[in-house]
Amino acid sequence: MSDDEDRKKDEMTTIPHNELRPGAVPPNASISRKLREFYNAVQEEGIPDRFLELLERLEQAEKNAKSVNAK
Amino acid sequence: MSREDEIDDRGFKRDLLASLPNLRAFAVSLTGRHDKADDLVQDTIMKAWANQSSFTAGTNMRAWLFTILRNEFYSQMRKRGREVQDSDGLFSERFSVHPEQYGRLDLQDFRKALDKLPDDQREAIVLVGAAGFAYEEAAAICGCAVGTIKSRVSRARTRLQELLGVSGESDYGPDAGDAAITSRAFGS
Repeated sequence: MSDDEDRKKDEMTTIPHNELRPGAVPPNASISRKLREFYNAVQEEGIPDRFLELLERLEQAEKNAKSVNAK
Repeated sequence: MSREDEIDDRGFKRDLLASLPNLRAFAVSLTGRHDKADDLVQDTIMKAWANQSSFTAGTNMRAWLFTILRNEFYSQMRKRGREVQDSDGLFSERFSVHPEQYGRLDLQDFRKALDKLPDDQREAIVLVGAAGFAYEEAAAICGCAVGTIKSRVSRARTRLQELLGVSGESDYGPDAGDAAITSRAFGS
């Protein structure tokens, strides 16, 4: 394999994180990171009580309906 | 009710609960605000509950719920008519609702940029880049071809880079070392 081919291969391969110069972040990496940060921030808020209560009510309504049907 | 039915019911509720934080984050991404997102999630829960029988146990409940929520979102938008494009004033109102929830200032900037994307690009990049779906799953949720999702994600990335003025270096100079740590901590 010639040096030229080696270089071409290198250029086409994604640069691993640890080989980046300090201060250099690939643009897509910082976009992806911010997207996940934003998304995770919402996820970490947990489940609001209104949804837990709603599910309780739905479950109870279903049980009631079934016990009526069973009679 | 048989014992098996009861176990199935509990499984349904448990899986639904497990998917809720992710589903809600998707709703916030689509609507751009918490109050509307929570209304949308509530409608989705009720639809999902009423259609339990159409869910095939053992298949991907998260994808099923995302599909319901997405359909609900677009059908409500069609009913109401497209809302007025965001002005800066509306932005400040929207983002002052829960400013602490977006933490650092640059995360709020990111939110604003995300909100400026066309709906189809926003949902594509969120599904693939944050919600944890494969391109194929995202395509199924959006009812389009895998290639369409890929090109939407790519256009969304380019647009976000433009909006945020990300040039690749210097913008993130002092913070660059955090990138690897953050992605490990939030590993998706």
